[in-house]
Amino acid sequence: MLLRAFLIANLLSLCLASDIPAEEPLHARIDQLILAAGEGTTPADSSGESEFFRRLMLDLSGRIPTREETVAFLADESADKRAQAIDRMLASSDYPRRMQELFHVILMERRGDDENWLRFLRAAFEENLPWDRIVRTILIPEPDDEKFQGAGYFLTGRLISEGAMAPVDVPGLTRDVGRLLAGVDLQCAQCHDHLEYEDYKQQDFQGLLMIFENVETRRDVKFPAVTEKLMTSPQQFQSVFVQEPRTTEPVVPGGEIIPIATFPAGEEYLVPPDKKQRTPGVPKFSPLKALANGLTSAENELFARNIANRMWFVMMGRGLIEPLDLNHSQNPASHPELLDLLARELTAHQFDLKWFLRELALSETYQRSSRLPESDSQIDPRSFLVAQEKRLSAEQLFWSTLIATGEAERLRAGTKPEQAHEPHSLEQLVERHASLKSLKKEFLKTFANPPQEPEITFEPSVKAALYLMHDKQVLELLESREGNLAQRLNAQQDNRKLVEDLFLTVFSRMPEEAELQQTVAYLESHQSQRAEAIGQLAWAMLASTEFCVNH
Amino acid sequence: MAECQSWEHELSRRSVLAGLLGGAVAGGLSPLSPPAFAEELKQNDKQILLLWLDGGMSQLESWDPKPNTRFGGPFRSIPTSIPGVHISELMPLSAQRMHHLAVVRSMKTEDPNHSSGVPKILRGHPANRGVVYPYFGSAVAKLMGPTESGLPPYVWVKPGNGGFISTHAGFLGPKYGALALGNGKPPENLVRPEQITDEADLERQELRELFNRRYAERRRAEFSEANSYVYDLARTLMKNQDLFDADKLPEKDHERYGKSEFGRHTLHACRLIEAGVRFVQVTSYGWDTHGDNFNAHASRMPKVDRALSALIDDLNERGLMDRVLVVMMAEFGRTPRINGSVGRDHWPNAWSLAMTGCGIKRGTIVGETNAEGTDNATEPYDIGSLFHTWYSAVGIESAHAEFYNGTQPLPIAHDKMKPVAELLS
Repeated sequence: MLLRAFLIANLLSLCLASDIPAEEPLHARIDQLILAAGEGTTPADSSGESEFFRRLMLDLSGRIPTREETVAFLADESADKRAQAIDRMLASSDYPRRMQELFHVILMERRGDDENWLRFLRAAFEENLPWDRIVRTILIPEPDDEKFQGAGYFLTGRLISEGAMAPVDVPGLTRDVGRLLAGVDLQCAQCHDHLEYEDYKQQDFQGLLMIFENVETRRDVKFPAVTEKLMTSPQQFQSVFVQEPRTTEPVVPGGEIIPIATFPAGEEYLVPPDKKQRTPGVPKFSPLKALANGLTSAENELFARNIANRMWFVMMGRGLIEPLDLNHSQNPASHPELLDLLARELTAHQFDLKWFLRELALSETYQRSSRLPESDSQIDPRSFLVAQEKRLSAEQLFWSTLIATGEAERLRAGTKPEQAHEPHSLEQLVERHASLKSLKKEFLKTFANPPQEPEITFEPSVKAALYLMHDKQVLELLESREGNLAQRLNAQQDNRKLVEDLFLTVFSRMPEEAELQQTVAYLESHQSQRAEAIGQLAWAMLASTEFCVNH
Repeated sequence: MAECQSWEHELSRRSVLAGLLGGAVAGGLSPLSPPAFAEELKQNDKQILLLWLDGGMSQLESWDPKPNTRFGGPFRSIPTSIPGVHISELMPLSAQRMHHLAVVRSMKTEDPNHSSGVPKILRGHPANRGVVYPYFGSAVAKLMGPTESGLPPYVWVKPGNGGFISTHAGFLGPKYGALALGNGKPPENLVRPEQITDEADLERQELRELFNRRYAERRRAEFSEANSYVYDLARTLMKNQDLFDADKLPEKDHERYGKSEFGRHTLHACRLIEAGVRFVQVTSYGWDTHGDNFNAHASRMPKVDRALSALIDDLNERGLMDRVLVVMMAEFGRTPRINGSVGRDHWPNAWSLAMTGCGIKRGTIVGETNAEGTDNATEPYDIGSLFHTWYSAVGIESAHAEFYNGTQPLPIAHDKMKPVAELLS
């Protein structure tokens, strides 16, 4: 198959390429390749301290830093404080929460929540499970380990029928497996070979489809799980253009054809189905297991390229291959050698995502400013010589709002003395306060995309604008209450200090002198309504582009 | 008509605040010029009103009756204001206004299923390019943008829930989605809490713009422009909030349009068009009459008849006929064969739709079906041809205009089809 040929060609080019010494760390090699490709173009400056810190925090902790965290970082004089911050965040309990939220959105695309699934994702990132292991667990669940029981939701969440009008969409599931786990959107190859992309063959789609047509949701267990039926014959299909019947056996995206293994009657099962107990059988031949192993194999280039490209997108705001799910030979990466390197290194490091994110974060490429170089305002974003602005997810926005308004601080301060010895995480606060639970729900409703729409681009909406403008709960966050931002600012008599506090808390940076003067002047002109004026400033900052974007 | 609502006018008077905040007002505070609409047709004041009868209205009980035939059903046909043209007796008011309407009686489309047929028809069923095409309203929002009113370009009046429906926009992206008024109710959070005065709201918006301008220095403009745009639009909606509330419609107009849900929603749509919304869709649900087709149409058609007639009268009276294109259709018609439940089933093979207004040759009947209505007797038209017709009617050259999906150019209507010349004035 051409897909294979394409990958082999890639492998060959890998062997021939790279005169860069292998002992240099990945982040240094990333920078060399980015700079080499952009030769002749002046890159943007390195990000400022607070710009870097806020960005890193949003990417690895899923929230803006608190004022104290920002102040401490700015005051830190150690030479390697950026690297230290990266390590600190990767070790913090925010990291698995952020990864859970991130991968939930990437993998389920707002189809719905499932407690078991979320627990699986959390555990996976707490234990820094390698990506290949995560994917194998998703495809062949490990029901004996309670923590991982929910992994099957990736499949079962897509095997739900919503009545006669929306029957179970197995082709849709097939497409998602290709898109999300291998970076190939085979949808157009469902009925014929892709008309424009010669790598995408109908056999690839049909060979993957038959694996999922053979799958059923288990009804005998409480957690999301699937079982397989016996597969005994090849899939029949024909192109709508060339009407001649063809057959295929199961096909692994980026991998091999799986020969169907048949067994004599009565010997097909490892564990035969039990009608009394209503437990499904476990067939000896499991196409799903073959898929899971073939897909995640170290030889499967599509698999490694997909996750490398997606993680690059998460950190850098743009994929090396765009769209993220159209990896094929006619849509080369903007930096082919770099993507090859990332995929190879990630594979060599056993798909250790934490290691990979650390290398990306350590690169100068990641740490560049998002402000365009003064000399070149037309710089091509695909060059990665300037940092890309990124959309904040509904979750990032929610946690950040709790921090920026001091709501988290207010609720922590209100904790009963006997609980005060354990500082509550943001999540625990939400658990304990019904008001925050409903606020979170509203944030997700307002800022998330509708189900099945990937959250890739920045899409401000009138709905969200009206919500921030008028929602009672949002406005209450900005009213002065014991322990919150508004109260603290109201108590501050020195306007310059007040403005510094406001900027540090909401924008995670110090104000520039001009901003400081303007804002102080605004406050002075509103002496008689000082509290209202402070609220106005805080609202305007929350609603501004600077707050609702990761820049 | 809504007055000019652009809030920059008000802001420019607010020099005190502006002075304090750096005097940037002179440069123009966030004018209502959504960047995304920049490429759109200027100077085009044409508007579109789509009446959508979801589930499939029967052509036999409306535009193409076949009385006294095997599948004709119980209703008679009546003469209309066009000599020789008869329509169902369930539409007497429309019959009197037939010379204002154009009807196609030989629609032939592909899909007999609701779930796939509705989107196919509403997208004009273009050739498959591997992308999700926008619905008619989103496409027009993209191609024509808002009118000078600054009102959102695509409003959808429907029963049930409202909200911002981004899925209609397909690859164009959520900002071209529909603002849906569920049951004629304004969108959530439209009403400002009492404690915030208009003055205070303007002030905080201006502060937000100030922060945005600082942020946009040495950054690409798109993010801040997009942020400004949605807040401007939000304020425009608020200024016009009565317009989005069906409860505020005058009672006597309500009588004329009929005191049905469809009547109320059509009246509401007419007001939205008058106020300057570029594209309004009204949806009526429940036309899937697999059972008891005749009683259902006996009850439903007079409501449609009344609302449509009042709409024609209003558009004529207000001189809007040459500015507004009106289309009434469904995802298909209904089978001539009457099933065991005295119903009619899905029928894309030979059905009818109607239109009037700008660019349309009114008083035209295009195409015919055979004696029993079981097939087209003349050249059939697919929905793609009608999309070309409607785009032409509002001044869009559909044979040349293109959408862009990233860098991929895409025809706005089926590239193998062309307008139905007989329908165009």
